[in-house]
Amino acid sequence: MENQEQCALSERCVDRSSLVSEDGTNLKSVLCQRCGSKVLCPGMAAFAEKELFLPSMRKKTTITQSEGSMDGDTLTAHWLVDDMYTFENVGFTKDVGRIKYLICADCEIGPIGWHCLDDKKSFYVALERVDHV
Amino acid sequence: MDSRYEIQRRPGGGGSANASPAMGAQSRRRKMPPRPADYKLQIIIIGSRGVGKTSLMERFTDDTFCEACKSTVGVDFKIKTVELRGKKVRLQIWDTAGQERFNSITSAYYRGAKGIVLVYDITKQETFDDLPKWMKMIDKYASEEAELLLVGNKLDCETDRIISKQTAERFVSRISGMRFCEASAKDNFNVEECFLKLVDDILAKMPLEIPNKDISNSILSLQPEPEVPPDLNPPRTRCC
Repeated sequence: MENQEQCALSERCVDRSSLVSEDGTNLKSVLCQRCGSKVLCPGMAAFAEKELFLPSMRKKTTITQSEGSMDGDTLTAHWLVDDMYTFENVGFTKDVGRIKYLICADCEIGPIGWHCLDDKKSFYVALERVDHV
Repeated sequence: MDSRYEIQRRPGGGGSANASPAMGAQSRRRKMPPRPADYKLQIIIIGSRGVGKTSLMERFTDDTFCEACKSTVGVDFKIKTVELRGKKVRLQIWDTAGQERFNSITSAYYRGAKGIVLVYDITKQETFDDLPKWMKMIDKYASEEAELLLVGNKLDCETDRIISKQTAERFVSRISGMRFCEASAKDNFNVEECFLKLVDDILAKMPLEIPNKDISNSILSLQPEPEVPPDLNPPRTRCC
């Protein structure tokens, strides 16, 4: 199974099969972890693996240990969509270099995802930074 | 080219397989279901400095958002989905904060907008006095079809009110088709209602029963428009 291969490659494979359908899309709705705002409807995004660095969701003043990085995490498992209008609700930060970070459109927690201006057909949302219902 | 322009004008159409750097995703992307939204609309929020444009778009939550992102980067735009008239509508909402000088907001902002939210502060005379200048920009750059909404913000500061509701209503009555409401972004009062009315007005102008979905998509997709110098657009006579 392809899913299992992906599973072995990624840092966390708990519940992966309950999140990814056989054709590689999200089985469940993707929601904001904090306010429950709906980011993606089921079946709208493809599971994709790509190493992306996302700044920490917590304030800098909060001391948190996350995978050896002080200010953020390198995350590998993402939901990928090729059109920003696929999202139900999402916010984009202003440019950081060539990157726009994705945030919750309602409570603005984030970054929950990543978009590079050099690849206009790729919008990533990190599985670890969203809820699945 | 301005990156904002690029991202705003990005064609909405399907994905080419080689666009993805992610392994394993390409073959699946072809199986993805069709676009779920019935309509895609761009809305911009304009107005003088300090009137609360940003607050209208975002609820201020300084203790939750990544501090580095919030203070140095800020929110550029949002995709929000609303359901109205039985249709699912994706709104792309742009805030122009930080570009308040009348001429600094690029025409690209205005050109694609189906709805324009013009904001003033009910406690600051000068933000109301600026409205005719903003209307000139709208007349110059925005589509004639764009729906307009005037928002008197900071209703939570009622005791400091300078601009009466009647004064604003008189201003609005001289502009055909412009809606008006007062709101408090701080208290989240009347904000969503204002936006929904604006969207409803936009939808009311659109043909609601389109038998062929492909046709509706082609009409509403955000294809790049030919670059037309602003001077070639005849000024509208909507404003005084």
